[in-house]
Amino acid sequence: MKLFDNKIEFGGFLMAGLVLVFVLPLLNAYVPEGSALHFSEYHIGLWGKYITWAILAMSLNLLWGYTGLLCLCQALFFALGAYAFGMYLMLHAGVDPVYNTALPDFMDFQGYTSLPWYWKPFGSGAFAIVASMVIPGLLALVFGYLAFSSRIKGVYFSILTQALTYALSLFFFMNTATIFGKSFILFGGNNGLNNFGEIFGFGVNEASTKRTVFVGSALLLLVVYLLIAWLIKTKFGMVQQAIRDSENRVRFSGYSTTNYKLLIFVGSAMIAGIAGAFYVPQVGGINANEMVPAKSLDVVVWVALGGRGTKFGPVIGAIVVSVIKSYAQVEFPNSWLIILGAIFMFVVLFMPNGLAGLPKQLAPLWARIRGNASTSATPVS
Amino acid sequence: MKKSLFVLLFTLVANLWGQDDPRVRQLLEDLALERADDQDALLDELANSGDSFVTSFVDAWRTGEVYQYAPDGSDPIIVIKVSEAYIQLSTWEELELTPSQIEEIEDNKSRPSRRLRRTLSRVTDTVDLASKDVGTRKAAALKLGQSQNQEYLEILRARLEKEENSSAAEALREAIAISLLANYSSPEELKEAIAALGEFRSIGAKSKIETIRDKALEEGDEDLAAIATQSVKYIEDHEAILRHAGSIFRGISTGSILLIVAFGLAITFGLMGIINMAHGEFVAIGGYTCYVMNQFFSEAYGTQSDAYQWFFWCSIPLSFLVAGTLGWLLEISFFRFLYKRPLESLLATWGLSMVMRQMFRLIFGAANVQVGNPEVLSGNVEFWGLAMSEARIFAIGFAGFVALLTWALLTKTNLGLFIRAVMQNRNMASSLGIPVKRVNSLTFAFGCGLAAMAGAVLSQIGNVGPEMGQAYIVQSFMVVVVGGVGNLLGAGLSALGIGVVDQILQPLIGPIMGTIAVLFIIILFLQRKPGGLFPTKSRSMED
Repeated sequence: MKLFDNKIEFGGFLMAGLVLVFVLPLLNAYVPEGSALHFSEYHIGLWGKYITWAILAMSLNLLWGYTGLLCLCQALFFALGAYAFGMYLMLHAGVDPVYNTALPDFMDFQGYTSLPWYWKPFGSGAFAIVASMVIPGLLALVFGYLAFSSRIKGVYFSILTQALTYALSLFFFMNTATIFGKSFILFGGNNGLNNFGEIFGFGVNEASTKRTVFVGSALLLLVVYLLIAWLIKTKFGMVQQAIRDSENRVRFSGYSTTNYKLLIFVGSAMIAGIAGAFYVPQVGGINANEMVPAKSLDVVVWVALGGRGTKFGPVIGAIVVSVIKSYAQVEFPNSWLIILGAIFMFVVLFMPNGLAGLPKQLAPLWARIRGNASTSATPVS
Repeated sequence: MKKSLFVLLFTLVANLWGQDDPRVRQLLEDLALERADDQDALLDELANSGDSFVTSFVDAWRTGEVYQYAPDGSDPIIVIKVSEAYIQLSTWEELELTPSQIEEIEDNKSRPSRRLRRTLSRVTDTVDLASKDVGTRKAAALKLGQSQNQEYLEILRARLEKEENSSAAEALREAIAISLLANYSSPEELKEAIAALGEFRSIGAKSKIETIRDKALEEGDEDLAAIATQSVKYIEDHEAILRHAGSIFRGISTGSILLIVAFGLAITFGLMGIINMAHGEFVAIGGYTCYVMNQFFSEAYGTQSDAYQWFFWCSIPLSFLVAGTLGWLLEISFFRFLYKRPLESLLATWGLSMVMRQMFRLIFGAANVQVGNPEVLSGNVEFWGLAMSEARIFAIGFAGFVALLTWALLTKTNLGLFIRAVMQNRNMASSLGIPVKRVNSLTFAFGCGLAAMAGAVLSQIGNVGPEMGQAYIVQSFMVVVVGGVGNLLGAGLSALGIGVVDQILQPLIGPIMGTIAVLFIIILFLQRKPGGLFPTKSRSMED
């Protein structure tokens, strides 16, 4: 089975892989600072962040672009994965000088002397990595089962997932929760988890560690891309796209659309979760602001801008929007939200297929211009 | 012209001081000039007048705004200085004075003597007991009772014999009983008082009775302890009832706001197939309109004037107009291209919402702004001991009005008929000659206007800020979905239901867990009824 549609895509994939996995890390490691070719540590962190966001966008595209489910809780899955791995990092932050304990600061602050039972397993790195996929996956399984089995779909599904995000973000904003009279400490409330020390024995802030995590994220991006490229060519993927186009016909043909949707929902949540796990060490923290409903809407916008239902569109969308945002935030601190909002409105109205669809959209126009120049009668479609 | 202006000014000032009885003014002048033969009788008469002017006058007297003045050797008179004018107390007329006379007056400040001040405080404390207003009488009685001052016990008893209003008499009896807890003459009297307070469900006396109960338990006075325990139990039961009634009341009022917001959404979402993520920002427009009007009125008329009170009543229709116009403009330039493309509309309107929020920040600042309350909406209404804020009562009434208005618009007007026709089948309606485009614009403008009116009402209850709409948007969407999309009755019922459940859960598990629980209840509810309370009936397979 061919994974790539054409040679251009294959070449692009190889190039991106080479640049991300070899060129940029090598430029960072071996070109001296101050040289024009040096890829700085700051940029390693920044682009590492963009890459995890691109993976997040791809996971949403799997749902929205290929299955037709607009999910407004994708950033929630991402943040849950980030929290799961953040808990591991938090437990290996070392003894802090103020309280002289190995407990996270906010636990000391709340007067806790020992680790609560639900924090204990996260001391193991392997567990945390698995949990960063399993926890979002389980949530997606339960919620998806409830939603799909009662045939909630379309806009209703979007609104419900948004409500789920809203509810859970409120939960993570709390410092402690009292459930049935028992008080539980949560995950750092507003401040979230930060001030990490080491990751699998290496210092989080060391250049080599940062480079390694960057390469890891890049590899994950490539793997997820290949995975999606493979999936949509399988029979499973065909059914998936058929559901997007006409769910009822698929159901009448004897397929259990509920199971298909559930499986994709869980899978996409797990991809978002593992992307979140790679996000935390590169950004150096995670807090409840990362899971508010607006963040999930941002992801949707990345996919829409890049081109939903295309393999590389979401990656382009996530990176383009993030770069514009970084640039505008500095250049136009007062009006960058207006710029960004205007871009969203423009894209939806005038670029229904996003950036990836732009060449096709402009093709007739291009043909006309070229046609006029050569005065040949090129048919205008 | 000038004269009529003065008359106007004086009526205004007089109203402000709350005076209307010339006899009271005469008595006060006698008191200040020490002309009375029997000062005690004078004080009694003042206390029994029930005129709140006495209190304002005594305050002014103490702070030195009262002057003694003898024009050209005639009898001295008392002059009050009110906003730079000098007014004769007994006649309540302005004196026309030369600068030298003013100087003379200013030198003759009149102040009550220390002894008189002490007795006067008894008068000012008890004058409200004789007030014409029943509410003031009741509040004054309970305040005196709470002070447990022996002196006032007799006054309260004397008042009780004269009191004709039954609810005021009740308050006096309660006050007497509370006072007796400290001033009893025999153990029997104390027991009677405690039992009576239990009957009255007197929340104000609860802690005092508890103290007596604990002391009685310590001293082994079982009889007294039993009576006190019984009374405390009565009061606690009553408190529990009040708490629940309060939750339900707050729930209904929160639900009412949700209802107004959700009606707008139900129209745009249900009828036009647009998910308007910027709907919350139209709510904020209403809040800011109210803020601007508040600023404008307080600058143009001053916060003390009667005209200022009108700012809120002007801002409700204005916010409808402002948001309606904006909604109309946006419809013809933007939303028009999004019909029946809900997912795309969600994205585009999210962009619009970002733009609008940032506009608010640029114009009004990132922080929340304060909006004043008109006097009618700033107090509490007490009903069976349950204090209900007037602003919330207004919100409930207003939601009812909006519901009625929307229902009338949809069922009694031609526009409503067109709206329903377009909603059922856009193409069919168009081919039957209904101006679909204009109907769309008007419907959308109406939805936006409703949101803004909700924002105006919200400005009296909560904060007005750039993010205020965001706080309501998720819940409003839930209201629309739970009610059944496009069904206004469903939206109304689900708004009230969600509001009440939320307020009942909040005291039990905390505000945030309460909100979370409500959202999960909604998700589970949709399991049973995926189409909401009143699902749209349709023959189309896709619905």
